[in-house]
Amino acid sequence: MRFSRRTLGVALAGAVALTSAIPAVAQQASQALSSESVIETIKKRGVIKIGLSLFVPWSMRDKTGELIGFELDVGRKLAADMGVEAEFLVTSWDGIIPALVAGKFDAIISGMSVTAQRNLTINFTDPYAYSGLTVLANRQMTEGFSLEDFNHEDVVFATRRGATPAVLIPELFPKAQMLQFDEDRAAAQEVLNGNAHATMAAQPTPNREAANYPDTLYVPFDQLWDPRGEAFAIRKGDPDALNYFNNWIAHSWRIGWLQERHDYWFKTTDWADQVTQ
Amino acid sequence: MTGAVRKRTLMKRLHWVDFLIVAVLAAFFLYVWFQIEGKLNYIWRWEQIPNYLFFYDERTERWTANVLIQGLITTIRISIYASILALILGVILGIARTVTNLTVRMLARTYLEFLRNIPPLVVIFIFYFFLSEQLIAAMNIEEWAYGVARQEDNAVWEFFFGDMRRFPSLISGVIVLALFESAFVGEIVRAGIESIGRGQREAARSLGMSWLDETRFIIMPQALRKVLPPLANQFISLIKDSAIISLISVQDLTLKTVDLANSTAMIFEAWLTTAALYFTLCFSLSLFFRRLEARGRSAH
Repeated sequence: MRFSRRTLGVALAGAVALTSAIPAVAQQASQALSSESVIETIKKRGVIKIGLSLFVPWSMRDKTGELIGFELDVGRKLAADMGVEAEFLVTSWDGIIPALVAGKFDAIISGMSVTAQRNLTINFTDPYAYSGLTVLANRQMTEGFSLEDFNHEDVVFATRRGATPAVLIPELFPKAQMLQFDEDRAAAQEVLNGNAHATMAAQPTPNREAANYPDTLYVPFDQLWDPRGEAFAIRKGDPDALNYFNNWIAHSWRIGWLQERHDYWFKTTDWADQVTQ
Repeated sequence: MTGAVRKRTLMKRLHWVDFLIVAVLAAFFLYVWFQIEGKLNYIWRWEQIPNYLFFYDERTERWTANVLIQGLITTIRISIYASILALILGVILGIARTVTNLTVRMLARTYLEFLRNIPPLVVIFIFYFFLSEQLIAAMNIEEWAYGVARQEDNAVWEFFFGDMRRFPSLISGVIVLALFESAFVGEIVRAGIESIGRGQREAARSLGMSWLDETRFIIMPQALRKVLPPLANQFISLIKDSAIISLISVQDLTLKTVDLANSTAMIFEAWLTTAALYFTLCFSLSLFFRRLEARGRSAH
């Protein structure tokens, strides 16, 4: 093919058109990004949909079947500050991340701790609470056990499927066996029944369980493992939502509201008469 | 027959072996129970359960359904809507399995084999994540449901569908369950159609009926009457299968029980109560269908 002046002209015009189009494309992309943000969806719908899984005292049902707990206070305050209604969707824990990714709700506010694994699939905001895990053990079965004694082939741990302890236990006690359940309560019950030696859970649950069954259960170590921040989880690729939630959390920390609510649910038992425990 | 006579004949019909069987069974269950009691470190709190069926709401000053009954109502709603949808889809599928057109037959067969050879749980996740969300988004159901939820006079909607905010999740539960059950309804309908003698179809054709008329007026009325008992069974099994959709966050009886068990630590009471509720629902339906069937038979 001969390289004529005409083909050169066409090529030049094409190049000019392309370069001038790039900024326009970029502008469109950033507009699209902000209009596709979940914040816009929430405003349009007038409702923020929050996914959670029940987990005392983060979230639970009171005697009239209403949802109460730390998460509920956080979610309702967040919705009120956004000027929308809060809707809470109770979901099973092992399906909660797929449900978020599939768009079933706008955010997970369910005491979800930030882990490297989870963060590969979803984005986390800044932490709005901090907690650590500890061991809750059966008194008769683990009498006089040191920390090393728990790492033994005969020791059985019960845990909730997909929860942080299910990852931590094999790391801390690689030799021990692990039974996994769908519910947190079922795991604790196995320890109570003597089918498992111990379970791991975020404080204050172990302390509360031990107080409910002082003859059988106890918390052998004061140590907290894997102290982590709990954060809202949102879908990837949404900088606007991340910015909004981060600023809301930062503000709630500054005014002391988060600390006050956290203390109420985790350090006091003033709420205990609202639920059957 | 008077009560006393009936009692005497019943006693006569019972052999000593029958008493032995009952005694052995009773001993076995007692043994199991004592084993459980000995091993189980559990504080039973049955007195708390009635509160989670109904409670007296002091704000509105009336008795209100609590979580378990709310869940039961949702389960009933979903079962009814899913059965209607499954019946419609299943009849289409059943007819498609018996037509002469090979493509239609193969498509119906593919759908059926796909559903029959994958565990229900997996089917439900696939439908939920890939299909129902797209359907709901495409039909703008969510926005509409929130609109209805905000209206003042939405009592009719609430009666049929409960809290309208939950409508999208209810609908996706119904769709998922109906798609799944339609495969089995389809097989039942096909068996019904095939049980109608070839002569019926030939006679209809000789009268100059079109395929549609022949199916509508000759085949289906006979086929459907024949398959009513298995369809009733399928309906009951649908109620039981509906427990699976709790995994996709439909607020049915099973999910509410999980909620309750997690919130109150009454795991055994909660699950036993739920078992009793499911049993009562399914068993009374089964008795009801049996009576209908008996009446249907005597009417002929």
